[in-house]
Amino acid sequence: MSSRENDSIQLLQGTLDLIVLRTLASMGSQHAYQIAKRLEQVSGNLLNLNQGTLYPALVRLEQYGWIKGTWGKTENNREAKYYAITRTGQNALGKETQRWRRMAGLVEKLLVEES
Amino acid sequence: MRYLRRIFLRFFGLFANSKAEAELDREITAHLQLLEDDFLDRGVTPEEARRAARRAYGGVEQVKQLHRNERAYQGLASTVMDVQYTLRQLRKSPGFTLTAILMLAFGIGATTAVFSIVEGVLLRPLPFADPDHLVILGDNLAGSSWDQASVTAPDIRNYMRDTHSFLHLGGYQGKGFELSGTGDPVRVDATRMSGEVFPALAIAPLLGRWFSQQEDDQDQLVAVLSYGMWRERFHGDEKILGTKILLDRKPYLVIGVMPPDFEFPLPPGHVNRSELWVPLSPEPEEFTAGFAASWNSRMVGRLKPGITPAQAQNDAQVVAEETMRNYPGFMRSLRIRSNVKLLQEDTVAQARPLVHTLLIAVATVLLIACANLAGLLLVRSIRRRREIAVRLALGARAAMILRQAMVESLVLSITGGLVGLVFAAACIRIGISLLPETLPRIHAISLDWPVIAFALGLAVVTGLVCGLAPAFAAIRTSVNETLKEGGRTGTPGSGHGRLRSMLVVAEISVALVLLSASGLLLRSFEKMRQVDLGFRVDHTLSAFYILPHERYRVQSAVDGFTDALLRNLRQLPGIKAAGISSSLPAVGDGGGLSIIVEGHVPQKGAGLNMATVSQMQGDPFQALGIRLLRGRFFTESDKVDSQPVTIVNRKLAEHFWPGQNPIGKRLRRGMPETPTPWLTVVGIVDDVKLGSPDGETAEQFYQPAAQLVVSEGAFASAGELTATYGYIVLHTDLPPEQMENSLRAAVRSIDPQLPLIEMQTMEHVISGSEAPRLFNTVLISAFATIALLLAVLGIYSVIAFSVALREQEMAIRMALGCQRQGVLHLVLLSAAKLGAIGCLLGLLAATAVSHLLRSFLFGVSPFDPLVLTLSAFAMLSFALAASALPATRAAKIDPMIALRGD
Repeated sequence: MSSRENDSIQLLQGTLDLIVLRTLASMGSQHAYQIAKRLEQVSGNLLNLNQGTLYPALVRLEQYGWIKGTWGKTENNREAKYYAITRTGQNALGKETQRWRRMAGLVEKLLVEES
Repeated sequence: MRYLRRIFLRFFGLFANSKAEAELDREITAHLQLLEDDFLDRGVTPEEARRAARRAYGGVEQVKQLHRNERAYQGLASTVMDVQYTLRQLRKSPGFTLTAILMLAFGIGATTAVFSIVEGVLLRPLPFADPDHLVILGDNLAGSSWDQASVTAPDIRNYMRDTHSFLHLGGYQGKGFELSGTGDPVRVDATRMSGEVFPALAIAPLLGRWFSQQEDDQDQLVAVLSYGMWRERFHGDEKILGTKILLDRKPYLVIGVMPPDFEFPLPPGHVNRSELWVPLSPEPEEFTAGFAASWNSRMVGRLKPGITPAQAQNDAQVVAEETMRNYPGFMRSLRIRSNVKLLQEDTVAQARPLVHTLLIAVATVLLIACANLAGLLLVRSIRRRREIAVRLALGARAAMILRQAMVESLVLSITGGLVGLVFAAACIRIGISLLPETLPRIHAISLDWPVIAFALGLAVVTGLVCGLAPAFAAIRTSVNETLKEGGRTGTPGSGHGRLRSMLVVAEISVALVLLSASGLLLRSFEKMRQVDLGFRVDHTLSAFYILPHERYRVQSAVDGFTDALLRNLRQLPGIKAAGISSSLPAVGDGGGLSIIVEGHVPQKGAGLNMATVSQMQGDPFQALGIRLLRGRFFTESDKVDSQPVTIVNRKLAEHFWPGQNPIGKRLRRGMPETPTPWLTVVGIVDDVKLGSPDGETAEQFYQPAAQLVVSEGAFASAGELTATYGYIVLHTDLPPEQMENSLRAAVRSIDPQLPLIEMQTMEHVISGSEAPRLFNTVLISAFATIALLLAVLGIYSVIAFSVALREQEMAIRMALGCQRQGVLHLVLLSAAKLGAIGCLLGLLAATAVSHLLRSFLFGVSPFDPLVLTLSAFAMLSFALAASALPATRAAKIDPMIALRGD
C-alpha cells in the first residue's frame, strides 16, 4: 500500500467519523440507515456513498467508546440498531471539531495566500 | 487512552468472532429491510425494491470484510485459528499431551526450584545498598597459605587512620559471649565491630540505633541485637531497648535491633551467624606482642565515589608499608600485601564450585526433558504423516502446515513451561516452610528468574526445532507415495528413525554423566566414613567452656577452676579418662602458626612452616583415644617452671625428621628472629583429623597448657592468662548421653553461672563435620534421580511409540512364522543397542567433565572403574527395563487384528 493512498483513507476516515458524531449529537439516537439518509440530505447527494461504508466508521467509534449501539424498534415496528453519542463522545466531538476548524482554516489561508 | 481501549477490543474481538458476525448479520439485514420498506413506499414492486435496496447499500460481503478488518486484528486471526485447531488436536490425544507437558513441567519446575532454594540459602546475594562499592580489605601474608584476607588489631587502627579511599572503613571479629541474666546462661555468637562498619553497610536498624565510632573509641558497653535473637530470647519486646544484658558477666546496654534481613558477617555456605553486635573497642594488649601478629580480624569498607578497588589497594599498601616499618623485632621477617576485593566476590567465591556443579546438573536434567519432548514430537509427526499428505492433496499450503506444526510445539512447550513455573513456585513455598523461620532473608527466596528464562527459552527452542524438523520432512514427502501406502505407517526407515535413535542415545549418555557423578560422590562419602580419624568416636562426650574474664582475672583463679573441674570429673562414675583440650578434632583447626625447627634449614623462598597447636590439661589424649606412637604423654610434672615440652603428630615428625627418632628434638614458636624458648619433643602421636574427615591433615603439635605463656616468649602479652577456655573431653563406660547431667553438675558445683556450650558426643561432632559433603551428595543424587526418571520415561515413550508404529511389521513377521519370543528379542535388542552406544558416549562425556567434579571427590578418582562400570550397567538395565513393557506388548500383538486394522 503506498503512503499516499494510506493518507487519503486516513483523511476520509477522520472526516466520516466527525460527520457521524456531529449527526448523532444534533439528531439524537439514530440507526445506520437514518445516518446515511441524513448524510445524503445534507450533502445534497454530493457525497455519493454506499450506505455500507458507514459500518467501519460505526464499529471504530463504538470501540473508542464515543458512541453506543442498542437494539430498538422503528415506528413501523422494524428492528434496528440505534446509535447514541456518549459523554466521552461529546467531549471528543468538541476536540475533533476544533481540530477540523484549525485544519480547514489553515488550508483555506494557504489557498487564499498562494492564489 | 481510547487507543488502548481499542487495541484491547480489537484483540479481544478475535475470540468473540462468531458473536460479532451474528450481530453484524442482524444489523445488515435490518438495514436492508428499512431500505426495502422505503422503496416499497415509493410504489415499486417488491422484487425491484429488494434490488434497489441492495444497490443503495453496496456489496454486503465487502462491507462485512471492512467491518471485520476494523473490528479485530485480522492478521492474528489465523494464528488464533491455529491455536484453536492445535488445542482440539491435543485434546484428541490426551496421553501424548499430558506426557509432554508434565515431562517439561517436571524438568523445568524441579530444577529451577532446587536451584532457587540452594542459591537463596547458600549464596544469599548481598542485601546492602550499592554493593559495587563495598569491599573487604585485608593482608596477604607472604609465605602463608591463607586465602582469606585478614588483619591484625594494629592493622585495623592503621588502615582506619591512614587510608584515604574509603567513605567508611571498619574492622570486625567474631567472638563468643556468655549471655546470662535472662534464663539459663547461654553461649551466643557475636561480632565485635568498629562503629564505622554500620554506616559502611548502610542498613538502618529496625528499632533504636546502632553504635557510633565514638562509642567504639570510648569503650562503651552497648549491644545491637539481631532480629532472630530479639524474637527468640526477648520475645520481640520493644522495651528491651535501654535495658542491660550480661555478656561475659559485664552489663551491656541494648541500643538497637537490626531488621530480619540484616546479616553480617556473611559466611557463605553456612547458616550460623552473628546474633548480636558490640563495639570492637580493642584492649590495649591487642596492640602488643603476639596479638599484633595474629591476623584474626577482617575489615569491610565502602569506597569513595569514583575510587576503584585497585586504587584503594594501592592506597592501603602505603599504609601497610608503614605498618611493616614499625614491626617489632620479632616480626621483622613478615611481609604483608594489602588486598582489596569486592565483598560480593569474597562472599560468593567459596560457594562457586558448588553453584557451577548445580548449574550443570540443572542443565543436564533440562536437556533430558527437552530430548524427551523432541522424541515425542518426532514420533507424533510420523503418525500424522498421512494426515498431512491428505491435507496437502486437498490443497493445503506447505506454509500453513509448517505454521500449524510450529504453533503446536509452541503451545506444548509454553504450557509445559508455565505448569513448571507453578510447580516450582509450589516447591519453593514448601521448601521455605521447611526451613527455619529465623533464617535471614528466607522470605526473599524466590524463583531465580535467569534460570527460569533459560529453562523456558530452552523449552521453546526445543519445541520449535523439533516441531519444524518433522514438519519439513512431512511436506517433502511425496503425497502420492504416502497415500499409496494406504496409511500403513509401518516402515519408519526414513531419517526419523535415526533421529529418534540419536535422541535416545543422547538422553542415555547425558543421564549417565549425572548418574556416575552421583555414584562418585556417594563413593567419596563412603570413603570419607572409612577415614582413620585418629581418635575414638564412641563413648566420648565433649563440651566447651570459656571462663569470663570478669571473674577469672588471675591465673590462680583459672587454675583453681581447672583443677577442681578435673578432680570432679575423675570422680564421676563410669569415667575412664577426662581431660581438657584447647581444640577438638573435627570442629575445625582454628588456623596455624609459624614454627621453627632446630637444625632445619628452610629452602630459599620457602614459605613459613605452619602448624596447628593445642594446649592440653588432664588426660585429653587418653579421653579422645589419640594413639601414642613413641615417647610419653604429658604428666603432672610438666609444670610452668619445668622444661618446656611438646608432643608432635606423625606428619610433623615425618616432615622435619624423616627416618629419625624425633624424641629429644626441639622446635619453637614464631619466626627465626623471634626470641622464643625451645620445646623438647617428648612424644609422637598419630595424626588426627582436626577438620572434616575429607580435609587435609595438618602438622600438629601439643603443649601442656601451663607452659603456653613461657613458650610464647616475646609474643606473650603482659598478664596473659592460659587455659581460660577449652573442650572438656570424657571417655566413659556408659553411653555418653547419660553422662551429660553429671558433667553439668560437676561444672555447676564449681561455677553455677558458667554455661557449657555445644555439649555433644563425638559421634555427633563427626556427623556435623560430614554435613557439607552429605549435602552435596544428596543434592547431586537428587538431580541424578530426576535425570534417571526422565530418561527412563523418555526411552519408554520413544520405544513404545516406535513399537506402536511397527505394529503391522510385527504382525506380518508373526504371520510369516516369527515366534513371539523373536519379536520380544527384536525390540529388546534394538533398545540394548541404543543403550550400549548411549552408555559409551556417556562414559566419554563423564570423563570430559571430570575436572569439574574432581574438587568434590575424596579418595576416589573421577575415572573410578567400579563406579563408572556400575552406573553404566545400571543405566543399561534401566533402558532395557523401560523397553521391556513395549516389547512384551509387541509380542502380544494378534496378527489378524493388527493386519485388518488399517
